[in-house]
Amino acid sequence: MDQILSDFILALRSSGIRISIPESIDAMDTVKLTGYYDREVLKDSLAAVLAKSLFEKEIFEECFENFFSFDAFSEEGEDSSEPMETEISEVDSSLSQMILSGDTGGLAASMREAAQEVNITGIQFFTQKGLYIHRILRHMGIAELRQDMRRLYKEDTPSSRKIALKLEEGLDYLFENVKDFVEKQFSLYSPSVTEKLLEDYLKNVKLSNLEQRDFHRMHNIIQKMVKRLNDIHSRRRKKYKRGQLDFRKTLRNNITYQGLLFDIQWKKKKVDRPDIIAICDVSRSVEAVARFLLLFLYSLNKALARIRTFIFCSNLIEVTHVFNEYPVEEALVKLKSGVGLGIVLGRTDYGQAFRDLKEDWFHLITNKTSVLILGDARNNFGDPETGILKSIQERSKRLVWLNSEPRSFWGVGDSEMKKYLPYCHLARECNTVTHLERVVDSLL
Amino acid sequence: MMNSLCDMKFASIEEIQQGFKNAQYICNRKIATTLYLAYHLGKPILVEGPAGVGKTELAKTAAVYLDISLIRMQCYEGLDESKALYEWKYGKQLLYTQMLKDKLNDVVKGADGLSESIDKLHQYNDIFFSESFLEPRPLLKALHEKEGAVLLVDEIDKSDHEFEAFLLEILSDFQVSIPEIGTIEAEVIPFVFLTSNNTRELSEALKRRCLHLFIPLPDPKLEREIIQIRVPSISEILKVQLVSFVQQLRELDLKKVPSISETVDWARVLLLLHADRLSSDLISETLHVLLKFEEDIKVAEENLYDMTKLAIKEAAV
Repeated sequence: MDQILSDFILALRSSGIRISIPESIDAMDTVKLTGYYDREVLKDSLAAVLAKSLFEKEIFEECFENFFSFDAFSEEGEDSSEPMETEISEVDSSLSQMILSGDTGGLAASMREAAQEVNITGIQFFTQKGLYIHRILRHMGIAELRQDMRRLYKEDTPSSRKIALKLEEGLDYLFENVKDFVEKQFSLYSPSVTEKLLEDYLKNVKLSNLEQRDFHRMHNIIQKMVKRLNDIHSRRRKKYKRGQLDFRKTLRNNITYQGLLFDIQWKKKKVDRPDIIAICDVSRSVEAVARFLLLFLYSLNKALARIRTFIFCSNLIEVTHVFNEYPVEEALVKLKSGVGLGIVLGRTDYGQAFRDLKEDWFHLITNKTSVLILGDARNNFGDPETGILKSIQERSKRLVWLNSEPRSFWGVGDSEMKKYLPYCHLARECNTVTHLERVVDSLL
Repeated sequence: MMNSLCDMKFASIEEIQQGFKNAQYICNRKIATTLYLAYHLGKPILVEGPAGVGKTELAKTAAVYLDISLIRMQCYEGLDESKALYEWKYGKQLLYTQMLKDKLNDVVKGADGLSESIDKLHQYNDIFFSESFLEPRPLLKALHEKEGAVLLVDEIDKSDHEFEAFLLEILSDFQVSIPEIGTIEAEVIPFVFLTSNNTRELSEALKRRCLHLFIPLPDPKLEREIIQIRVPSISEILKVQLVSFVQQLRELDLKKVPSISETVDWARVLLLLHADRLSSDLISETLHVLLKFEEDIKVAEENLYDMTKLAIKEAAV
């Protein structure tokens, strides 16, 4: 496979586009068809073969521009004095000769060659930059250049000192260029590891510390998680459908056929599809976390058929329809601002929220429902209405409370968590994606 | 992959662009490049983009341009093999067995016992499960087509995951397996288009087998060209005003932004009304052609005056 293309595919992979082997074969066939001579055609055709979604197309665009940019040595303006033949004949190494004659093309070619020799595509961490710069310079023959310089300084004639000085300047210039080159290569080939690291990091970082810019990534992680959980549980459902012979039922059913075992009945486990009511606190005390909890609920909403979502602050409202109607970012903005939804964003009032739930939505909670409450239980010293929570617990299959605060903070200040705790089947601290995942698994 | 005439039509990217233009479809270089590749690599194209940017039209035009038949399969939830690939003609099978009853008697006559008559019947194995009792559905039809065909699998995102997986065999090897008959291969590889509105993420496996083409909403220049070719009798000034207005509409916060097909419809409506330039009254009377939601029309009407002014100004330059 041709070296340029395989390097480019490597660069694409490391910026997060998944490219399979058949796809890279396609890319090769494509290049055979179109050739390298027309840049735009090349870009369009490779984009068609390699980037398979709008998101990937954007990455591709950036990567293509970076990769196929012209990386010659930058011209040095002031050094335009014609090199003298005598000067060049004074030095031995080819590198010094190229520097003295100002052969930037030759330098660039030799740099590329050296880069391939030291396998620059293997660069992974920014700490390796220095190492690669050093290796490339060594391959280009910097040792011989230094030897030339030492010899010239030793000779100590005015002309030799002049040449030595020139070489020294050239060396700095060379170093700068190689450094730029390595930087660029690093940005092309390295991010794969960084991307993976970042993903792991995002899973474990506190939700409240996440920045807006990580939002998109976070959405992906959560979607992945929800999909995986969904897959696991749908498979289990299928298994449950198989059963053993139900002898009693078979006998009973076959009485009509004079006792011939004609219509055979199997024992079946009943399939419980997850039926969830999620209630999320969106007040200011949980503001930073709420965004991601809502994001999580959004993904859950898309994956599960039977889920009703409510948010509350001073009162409680249903928002399932918002999730269903709008794309994710829009929905979250709408929920956070609360415009047109009838929510009052005043003091957090868990008591009122529970009262609202009891009044309007209690019929939804049956013995098959899991109730999921997301909130910090900071009630501003209002009536906690533990009685209602108790009746929710009695009606529902499970009551799970996810608190964004660590356990040691529960019950401190205006937190009513200690009072709510006895009525929860499960209460967990939840402020990272990993926490979320663990809880959801037990929920479905 | 098809014949030399088709090869000639797909000889170069410029050729394709020109040919499609003659068939009343303006395709930019990106689209033409993808078509070129798909034809020469023999791969399906997965076309994505917002509704109404001409995804389906692209396939139709390709069929017209190549002068071969278009076989269209509309996907929907619950679509399965029997509707997409083939079905046995049960009625015909039943009828034939009834009619051939006597013949069957002849065949098994003289046979000694049940097993022998079954053996005799086996000599004529599977006559009732041969191709003449097969009702071909779109996919099989596309494989059978002698001249080659354009197969359009429309709105693949509406179908189920299972169906998507089922398509894989056809898309990569252009063959299908029918248990009673065996594997049927394409006589001429069809030119396949799949379209998707992105209501759900398609599987990696499917994407891997296709070239991917994203058609966005057009820029003003392209849209003017499209209007020109679709509604040739429109006046120059109205065309510029209309495109400018629609482009501004797309900037607004709407539930559904107007697509190309809606712009074309609007241009036709304006032509019917004998308008030669835009005015606020005219727009507010015909706005429902462009916008399909009451809320959207309200939003647009709020900004109507400014947008009209800008559109007129742009055309004057």
